[in-house]
Amino acid sequence: MQKHSDEALVAYLDNELDADERAHVEAWLDADPAVRDRLLALAESATTLRNAFAEFMTEPVPERLIAAARGETASATEAEIVELRPRRTEAAPPPSSRWYIQLATAAGLFGLAVGGGAGYLGNSIMTPPQVPAERQIQAAALNNWLDNAAGDYKLMVNAGDTLVDVPANGDNGDVLQKVSQSLPQPVRLPDLKPWGLSFQGARLIVVDGRPAAQLVYTTDNKAIGPLALIIGSTKQSDIAPTFERRQDLNLLYWRHQGRASVLVGQSEIGYLWGIANDVAWQLDAI
Amino acid sequence: MSFPWKFGAAPDHAATRAAPVSKRFSDQLIAVLPRLRRFAGGLTRSASEADDLVQAACERALAREHQFQEGTRFDSWMFRIVQTIWIDQLRARDIRKEDGDVAEERLGSDEPVRRVEARLALSEVRRAVALLPPDQRLTLMLVTIEGLSYKQAAEVTGVPVGTIMSRLARARIALQQTLESGVVARRSAGDAEA
Repeated sequence: MQKHSDEALVAYLDNELDADERAHVEAWLDADPAVRDRLLALAESATTLRNAFAEFMTEPVPERLIAAARGETASATEAEIVELRPRRTEAAPPPSSRWYIQLATAAGLFGLAVGGGAGYLGNSIMTPPQVPAERQIQAAALNNWLDNAAGDYKLMVNAGDTLVDVPANGDNGDVLQKVSQSLPQPVRLPDLKPWGLSFQGARLIVVDGRPAAQLVYTTDNKAIGPLALIIGSTKQSDIAPTFERRQDLNLLYWRHQGRASVLVGQSEIGYLWGIANDVAWQLDAI
Repeated sequence: MSFPWKFGAAPDHAATRAAPVSKRFSDQLIAVLPRLRRFAGGLTRSASEADDLVQAACERALAREHQFQEGTRFDSWMFRIVQTIWIDQLRARDIRKEDGDVAEERLGSDEPVRRVEARLALSEVRRAVALLPPDQRLTLMLVTIEGLSYKQAAEVTGVPVGTIMSRLARARIALQQTLESGVVARRSAGDAEA
């Protein structure tokens, strides 16, 4: 790859360059305002592109596809509505703290606002059925929630044990009591030892403006951990377990009976699915 | 308490792991359906065509469930299946005729006001994507929309990372130029009306 090329700019935006390549591109950006403009335009177009395909994540999945996934023959009955998935409205995270990258992100978000509005307007004119504004807001809130969950996971992994507010102890009863004091409902501690996951402690965090508990698990099995389970409260309706990704992280989230949960980690989604199954059963067991 | 979703209510860990693989497999497949539809929506040129593609991919995935390796990424595996079927379909068709159809659609016969509004709509962006060459379209959808890394996209498509980089850059530049030309067209129309 040539250091001064469109490939380099696009890879820079995608955070796919190593340190040396990044330094070369940043020097190039420092030296040439036209290249900075080009970078901004590329960032904007990427945001517009993501918005253009966002509605697929909020549309009901046709019954025939659900049936196909179950190995069943699709019936001719009325379309089944499955739970909505979040609308991905965030621009790609900035790969640098440089001002023009922040500007690029800001421009992208501006494009998001304008593009999203235009998209909604366009949808209302052109492509029934419409996606209600309330649903879009809920999807955006969910996206923020997941972004925060992913960010807190990164923070936890980078900081290690020093970031755990309440470290694990013998029976962990005190841990849960302290964490639960700040939450609308008591927290249960899922036992994930059968998965080789050891509870390391809990953190109190704020996601989407609400307190939540981040339960931290580690394991020697690099295929699984470390893993964070974030449990918060919600007034929104239940939602089925759904996968999302944030950079190199897999997230599996669900809402059930006033509780919003998300598993965050780098483990393969098959593992997440199995662990979430376990977590959901333990959280809801009485 | 009944848990309403497909997690099942496993009474113990052994039962959790001993759950029928096919059901777990189907559940994973259902969970990834929205992303498959989005991916297919970028490759094909209509929603119904995209859903046909996803349905075919589901059927093929179920038939080849035994080939999926636990511990690998399920979404990447499904993207690869969608891609394979899509390429097969492309080869089986008269692509030139399809390109003509798209061009005709872009110049469609809607009333002028609606056509201007349509340019504002994000559906126009999807059309711009549909005009990209298939390999660029595929790379763009995998990386920019589905969020795969270059390495992961290379694994799905079976090409080197360097090829992913060059295809992606060409796609992004072409798309940006198309979008800019749309803006220019609108501005020109606005200036003319003024």
